[in-house]
Amino acid sequence: MATAVEDRAETAPRFAPLLGRFALAGVVAGAASGLWALVVTERAIAPALALEEARGSGHDHGHEELVSRSTQLVGGFLGTVFAAVVFSVVVAAVYAAVRHRLPGRTDAGRAAVLAAIGFGVFALLPAVKMPANPPAVGDPGTVGTRTAIYIAVLGAGVVTALLVSAMVGTLRARGLHPSAVAAAGVLATVALVAATVLLVPDNPDAIGADVPAAVVWDFRLASLGQLAVLWTTLGLTAGYLVDRLARRG
Amino acid sequence: MTSAQHTRTRTAPAIAVPAWAWALALLALFALYLVAQDDGAVLASAGDLAHEFFHDARHSLGMPCH
Ligand SMILES: [Zn+2]
Repeated sequence: MATAVEDRAETAPRFAPLLGRFALAGVVAGAASGLWALVVTERAIAPALALEEARGSGHDHGHEELVSRSTQLVGGFLGTVFAAVVFSVVVAAVYAAVRHRLPGRTDAGRAAVLAAIGFGVFALLPAVKMPANPPAVGDPGTVGTRTAIYIAVLGAGVVTALLVSAMVGTLRARGLHPSAVAAAGVLATVALVAATVLLVPDNPDAIGADVPAAVVWDFRLASLGQLAVLWTTLGLTAGYLVDRLARRG
Repeated sequence: MTSAQHTRTRTAPAIAVPAWAWALALLALFALYLVAQDDGAVLASAGDLAHEFFHDARHSLGMPCH
Protein backbone atom coordinates (compact mmCIF):
# COMPACT_ATOMS: atom_id res chain seq x y z
CA MET A 1 0.00 0.00 0.00
CA ALA A 2 2.75 2.44 0.91
CA THR A 3 4.44 1.98 -2.45
CA ALA A 4 1.27 2.77 -4.34
CA VAL A 5 0.60 6.10 -2.64
CA GLU A 6 2.86 8.10 -4.91
CA ASP A 7 0.95 7.50 -8.12
CA ARG A 8 -2.42 7.35 -6.32
CA ALA A 9 -2.74 3.69 -7.28
CA GLU A 10 -4.64 4.71 -10.40
CA THR A 11 -5.53 1.86 -12.70
CA ALA A 12 -7.75 1.76 -15.75
CA PRO A 13 -10.89 -0.29 -15.15
CA ARG A 14 -11.96 -2.73 -17.83
CA PHE A 15 -14.83 -1.66 -20.04
CA ALA A 16 -17.48 -4.26 -19.18
CA PRO A 17 -17.57 -3.53 -15.41
CA LEU A 18 -17.41 0.19 -16.21
CA LEU A 19 -20.47 -0.16 -18.45
CA GLY A 20 -22.27 -1.98 -15.65
CA ARG A 21 -21.59 0.90 -13.24
CA PHE A 22 -22.81 3.47 -15.77
CA ALA A 23 -25.96 1.48 -16.56
CA LEU A 24 -26.75 1.22 -12.85
CA ALA A 25 -26.18 4.96 -12.53
CA GLY A 26 -28.53 5.38 -15.50
CA VAL A 27 -31.30 3.51 -13.70
CA VAL A 28 -30.77 5.65 -10.59
CA ALA A 29 -30.70 8.86 -12.64
CA GLY A 30 -33.81 7.75 -14.54
CA ALA A 31 -35.68 7.00 -11.33
CA ALA A 32 -34.71 10.38 -9.85
CA SER A 33 -35.71 12.40 -12.92
CA GLY A 34 -38.76 10.15 -13.42
CA LEU A 35 -39.91 11.13 -9.93
CA TRP A 36 -39.32 14.77 -10.87
CA ALA A 37 -41.46 14.13 -13.95
CA LEU A 38 -44.32 12.78 -11.86
CA VAL A 39 -44.16 15.43 -9.13
CA VAL A 40 -43.14 18.55 -11.09
CA THR A 41 -43.36 18.20 -14.88
CA GLU A 42 -46.74 16.45 -14.98
CA ARG A 43 -48.14 19.30 -12.90
CA ALA A 44 -46.97 21.65 -15.65
CA ILE A 45 -48.37 19.42 -18.40
CA ALA A 46 -51.85 19.27 -16.84
CA PRO A 47 -52.93 22.86 -17.68
CA ALA A 48 -51.76 22.37 -21.27
CA LEU A 49 -53.88 19.23 -21.60
CA ALA A 50 -56.84 21.07 -20.06
CA LEU A 51 -56.35 23.78 -22.65
CA GLU A 52 -56.34 21.19 -25.42
CA GLU A 53 -59.53 19.71 -24.07
CA ALA A 54 -61.12 23.16 -23.91
CA ARG A 55 -60.34 23.68 -27.58
CA GLY A 56 -62.35 20.58 -28.29
CA SER A 57 -61.60 20.36 -31.96
CA GLY A 58 -58.38 19.66 -33.78
CA HIS A 59 -55.66 17.18 -33.02
CA ASP A 60 -56.58 15.03 -30.07
CA HIS A 61 -53.48 12.88 -30.60
CA GLY A 62 -55.56 9.80 -29.88
CA HIS A 63 -54.95 10.00 -26.13
CA GLU A 64 -58.32 8.75 -25.02
CA GLU A 65 -58.63 5.88 -27.46
CA LEU A 66 -55.29 4.19 -26.99
CA VAL A 67 -53.85 4.93 -23.58
CA SER A 68 -55.46 6.41 -20.46
CA ARG A 69 -53.98 9.43 -18.68
CA SER A 70 -52.89 7.36 -15.66
CA THR A 71 -51.11 4.94 -17.99
CA GLN A 72 -49.40 7.88 -19.64
CA LEU A 73 -48.09 8.97 -16.24
CA VAL A 74 -46.50 5.55 -15.84
CA GLY A 75 -45.15 5.86 -19.38
CA GLY A 76 -43.75 9.30 -18.56
CA PHE A 77 -41.82 7.79 -15.67
CA LEU A 78 -40.65 4.68 -17.53
CA GLY A 79 -39.81 6.65 -20.67
CA THR A 80 -37.58 8.91 -18.59
CA VAL A 81 -35.87 5.86 -17.05
CA PHE A 82 -35.40 4.38 -20.52
CA ALA A 83 -33.87 7.60 -21.87
CA ALA A 84 -31.53 7.83 -18.88
CA VAL A 85 -30.33 4.26 -19.39
CA VAL A 86 -29.74 4.95 -23.10
CA PHE A 87 -27.75 8.07 -22.21
CA SER A 88 -25.76 6.10 -19.63
CA VAL A 89 -24.78 3.41 -22.19
CA VAL A 90 -23.63 6.06 -24.66
CA VAL A 91 -21.83 8.07 -21.99
CA ALA A 92 -20.06 4.92 -20.75
CA ALA A 93 -18.46 4.34 -24.17
CA VAL A 94 -17.53 8.02 -24.50
CA TYR A 95 -16.20 8.11 -20.96
CA ALA A 96 -14.00 5.09 -21.51
CA ALA A 97 -12.68 6.56 -24.75
CA VAL A 98 -11.81 10.01 -23.34
CA ARG A 99 -11.22 9.25 -19.65
CA HIS A 100 -7.48 9.83 -19.86
CA ARG A 101 -8.07 13.24 -21.41
CA LEU A 102 -10.80 14.53 -19.10
CA PRO A 103 -9.79 17.05 -16.45
CA GLY A 104 -10.09 15.87 -12.87
CA ARG A 105 -7.90 13.73 -10.65
CA THR A 106 -10.52 11.13 -9.79
CA ASP A 107 -13.20 9.28 -11.71
CA ALA A 108 -15.79 11.18 -9.68
CA GLY A 109 -14.38 14.44 -11.01
CA ARG A 110 -14.03 13.24 -14.59
CA ALA A 111 -17.54 11.75 -14.68
CA ALA A 112 -18.92 15.04 -13.35
CA VAL A 113 -17.18 16.92 -16.18
CA LEU A 114 -18.53 14.58 -18.85
CA ALA A 115 -22.05 14.69 -17.37
CA ALA A 116 -21.90 18.49 -17.39
CA ILE A 117 -20.98 18.38 -21.09
CA GLY A 118 -23.85 15.93 -21.69
CA PHE A 119 -26.26 18.31 -19.95
CA GLY A 120 -24.96 21.16 -22.09
CA VAL A 121 -25.39 19.26 -25.35
CA PHE A 122 -28.65 17.41 -24.67
CA ALA A 123 -30.45 19.91 -22.42
CA LEU A 124 -29.04 23.46 -22.39
CA LEU A 125 -28.36 23.86 -26.11
CA PRO A 126 -31.82 22.58 -27.17
CA ALA A 127 -33.33 24.79 -24.44
CA VAL A 128 -31.65 27.80 -26.03
CA LYS A 129 -32.38 26.96 -29.66
CA MET A 130 -35.68 25.08 -29.46
CA PRO A 131 -37.12 25.14 -25.93
CA ALA A 132 -39.39 22.27 -24.90
CA ASN A 133 -43.10 22.78 -25.46
CA PRO A 134 -46.04 21.30 -23.56
CA PRO A 135 -48.95 19.64 -25.36
CA ALA A 136 -51.31 22.13 -27.07
CA VAL A 137 -48.44 24.08 -28.61
CA GLY A 138 -47.03 21.96 -31.41
CA ASP A 139 -48.50 21.57 -34.88
CA PRO A 140 -48.61 17.83 -35.71
CA GLY A 141 -47.95 18.76 -39.33
CA THR A 142 -44.49 20.12 -38.56
CA VAL A 143 -43.26 17.33 -36.29
CA GLY A 144 -40.95 15.92 -38.97
CA THR A 145 -39.32 19.32 -39.46
CA ARG A 146 -39.03 19.84 -35.72
CA THR A 147 -37.48 16.40 -35.24
CA ALA A 148 -34.90 17.22 -37.93
CA ILE A 149 -34.12 20.56 -36.24
CA TYR A 150 -33.83 18.86 -32.85
CA ILE A 151 -31.39 16.25 -34.20
CA ALA A 152 -29.41 18.97 -36.01
CA VAL A 153 -29.12 20.90 -32.74
CA LEU A 154 -27.91 17.80 -30.88
CA GLY A 155 -25.40 17.11 -33.67
CA ALA A 156 -24.15 20.70 -33.52
CA GLY A 157 -23.79 20.31 -29.75
CA VAL A 158 -21.71 17.15 -30.14
CA VAL A 159 -19.50 18.86 -32.74
CA THR A 160 -19.14 21.88 -30.44
CA ALA A 161 -18.08 19.67 -27.54
CA LEU A 162 -15.54 17.82 -29.73
CA LEU A 163 -14.06 21.00 -31.22
CA VAL A 164 -13.81 22.88 -27.92
CA SER A 165 -12.28 19.94 -26.05
CA ALA A 166 -9.78 19.36 -28.87
CA MET A 167 -8.85 23.03 -28.78
CA VAL A 168 -8.56 23.08 -24.98
CA GLY A 169 -6.41 19.95 -25.09
CA THR A 170 -4.08 21.47 -27.68
CA LEU A 171 -3.72 24.74 -25.77
CA ARG A 172 -3.07 22.92 -22.52
CA ALA A 173 -0.41 20.76 -24.18
CA ARG A 174 1.26 23.96 -25.44
CA GLY A 175 1.59 25.05 -21.82
CA LEU A 176 -0.77 28.02 -22.00
CA HIS A 177 -1.88 29.50 -18.68
CA PRO A 178 -4.99 27.65 -17.39
CA SER A 179 -7.04 30.85 -17.18
CA ALA A 180 -6.19 31.68 -20.80
CA VAL A 181 -7.20 28.14 -21.82
CA ALA A 182 -10.47 28.51 -19.91
CA ALA A 183 -11.18 31.88 -21.52
CA ALA A 184 -10.47 30.49 -25.00
CA GLY A 185 -12.74 27.52 -24.26
CA VAL A 186 -15.60 29.76 -23.14
CA LEU A 187 -15.20 32.07 -26.15
CA ALA A 188 -15.12 29.17 -28.61
CA THR A 189 -18.21 27.63 -26.96
CA VAL A 190 -20.11 30.91 -27.14
CA ALA A 191 -19.13 31.38 -30.79
CA LEU A 192 -20.19 27.87 -31.78
CA VAL A 193 -23.47 28.08 -29.84
CA ALA A 194 -24.17 31.43 -31.53
CA ALA A 195 -23.44 29.84 -34.91
CA THR A 196 -25.86 27.00 -34.10
CA VAL A 197 -28.59 29.42 -33.04
CA LEU A 198 -28.12 31.50 -36.19
CA LEU A 199 -27.60 28.76 -38.77
CA VAL A 200 -30.08 26.06 -37.70
CA PRO A 201 -33.66 26.93 -38.74
CA ASP A 202 -36.06 28.05 -36.02
CA ASN A 203 -38.97 26.04 -34.65
CA PRO A 204 -41.70 26.67 -37.26
CA ASP A 205 -44.55 26.47 -34.73
CA ALA A 206 -46.05 29.66 -33.33
CA ILE A 207 -47.46 29.41 -29.83
CA GLY A 208 -51.24 29.80 -30.02
CA ALA A 209 -52.81 32.99 -28.72
CA ASP A 210 -54.94 30.92 -26.33
CA VAL A 211 -51.86 29.42 -24.61
CA PRO A 212 -50.80 31.60 -21.64
CA ALA A 213 -47.07 32.30 -21.42
CA ALA A 214 -47.06 30.96 -17.86
CA VAL A 215 -48.25 27.54 -19.06
CA VAL A 216 -45.40 27.38 -21.56
CA TRP A 217 -42.67 28.67 -19.25
CA ASP A 218 -43.70 26.65 -16.21
CA PHE A 219 -43.40 23.61 -18.43
CA ARG A 220 -40.05 24.63 -19.91
CA LEU A 221 -38.53 25.17 -16.47
CA ALA A 222 -39.95 21.87 -15.23
CA SER A 223 -38.53 20.08 -18.26
CA LEU A 224 -35.10 21.68 -17.89
CA GLY A 225 -35.13 20.81 -14.18
CA GLN A 226 -35.96 17.22 -15.04
CA LEU A 227 -32.97 17.02 -17.40
CA ALA A 228 -30.77 18.68 -14.78
CA VAL A 229 -31.78 16.04 -12.24
CA LEU A 230 -31.10 13.31 -14.81
CA TRP A 231 -27.59 14.46 -15.77
CA THR A 232 -26.56 15.48 -12.25
CA THR A 233 -27.62 12.14 -10.80
CA LEU A 234 -26.01 10.27 -13.69
CA GLY A 235 -22.70 12.09 -13.28
CA LEU A 236 -22.53 11.84 -9.51
CA THR A 237 -23.68 8.22 -9.26
CA ALA A 238 -21.51 6.94 -12.12
CA GLY A 239 -18.56 8.91 -10.75
CA TYR A 240 -18.99 7.41 -7.30
CA LEU A 241 -19.36 3.85 -8.63
CA VAL A 242 -16.49 4.05 -11.16
CA ASP A 243 -14.26 5.71 -8.57
CA ARG A 244 -14.76 2.71 -6.29
CA LEU A 245 -14.18 0.37 -9.22
CA ALA A 246 -10.89 2.07 -10.14
CA ARG A 247 -9.64 2.18 -6.55
CA ARG A 248 -10.38 -1.49 -6.08
CA GLY A 249 -8.08 -2.04 -9.04
CA MET B 1 12.10 20.79 -24.01
CA THR B 2 9.32 19.30 -21.94
CA SER B 3 10.51 16.17 -20.27
CA ALA B 4 8.54 12.97 -20.69
CA GLN B 5 7.85 12.72 -16.98
CA HIS B 6 6.36 16.20 -16.95
CA THR B 7 3.77 15.43 -19.63
CA ARG B 8 2.87 12.13 -18.01
CA THR B 9 2.17 13.29 -14.47
CA ARG B 10 -1.58 13.92 -14.58
CA THR B 11 -2.61 11.46 -17.26
CA ALA B 12 -4.84 8.59 -16.22
CA PRO B 13 -4.42 5.30 -18.05
CA ALA B 14 -6.60 4.88 -21.14
CA ILE B 15 -9.36 2.30 -21.37
CA ALA B 16 -9.73 0.07 -24.40
CA VAL B 17 -13.28 0.48 -25.76
CA PRO B 18 -14.42 -2.66 -27.61
CA ALA B 19 -16.24 -2.23 -30.92
CA TRP B 20 -19.39 -3.80 -29.47
CA ALA B 21 -19.58 -0.91 -27.00
CA TRP B 22 -20.07 1.57 -29.85
CA ALA B 23 -22.53 -0.78 -31.56
CA LEU B 24 -24.50 -1.03 -28.33
CA ALA B 25 -24.48 2.74 -27.90
CA LEU B 26 -25.80 3.24 -31.44
CA LEU B 27 -28.44 0.55 -30.94
CA ALA B 28 -29.56 2.21 -27.70
CA LEU B 29 -29.82 5.60 -29.41
CA PHE B 30 -31.81 4.09 -32.25
CA ALA B 31 -34.18 2.41 -29.79
CA LEU B 32 -34.68 5.78 -28.08
CA TYR B 33 -35.34 7.37 -31.46
CA LEU B 34 -38.00 4.74 -32.24
CA VAL B 35 -39.71 5.39 -28.93
CA ALA B 36 -39.32 9.14 -29.04
CA GLN B 37 -40.04 10.23 -32.59
CA ASP B 38 -43.57 11.40 -33.15
CA ASP B 39 -44.47 10.85 -36.78
CA GLY B 40 -44.57 7.06 -36.79
CA ALA B 41 -42.24 7.01 -39.80
CA VAL B 42 -40.41 3.89 -38.69
CA LEU B 43 -42.78 1.85 -36.57
CA ALA B 44 -45.94 2.98 -38.34
CA SER B 45 -49.18 1.94 -36.66
CA ALA B 46 -47.58 -0.98 -34.85
CA GLY B 47 -45.82 1.56 -32.66
CA ASP B 48 -48.88 3.63 -31.82
CA LEU B 49 -49.39 2.03 -28.43
CA ALA B 50 -45.77 2.39 -27.29
CA HIS B 51 -45.82 5.82 -28.83
CA GLU B 52 -48.80 7.01 -26.77
CA PHE B 53 -47.45 5.24 -23.69
CA PHE B 54 -44.21 7.25 -23.77
CA HIS B 55 -45.95 10.47 -24.85
CA ASP B 56 -45.36 12.46 -21.65
CA ALA B 57 -41.69 11.47 -21.48
CA ARG B 58 -41.21 12.84 -24.99
CA HIS B 59 -42.58 16.23 -23.97
CA SER B 60 -40.86 16.40 -20.60
CA LEU B 61 -37.44 15.46 -22.03
CA GLY B 62 -37.75 18.32 -24.53
CA MET B 63 -38.22 16.17 -27.61
CA PRO B 64 -40.49 17.35 -30.44
CA CYS B 65 -44.09 16.13 -30.17
CA HIS B 66 -47.53 17.44 -30.99
ZN1 LIG C 1 -47.51 15.37 -27.58
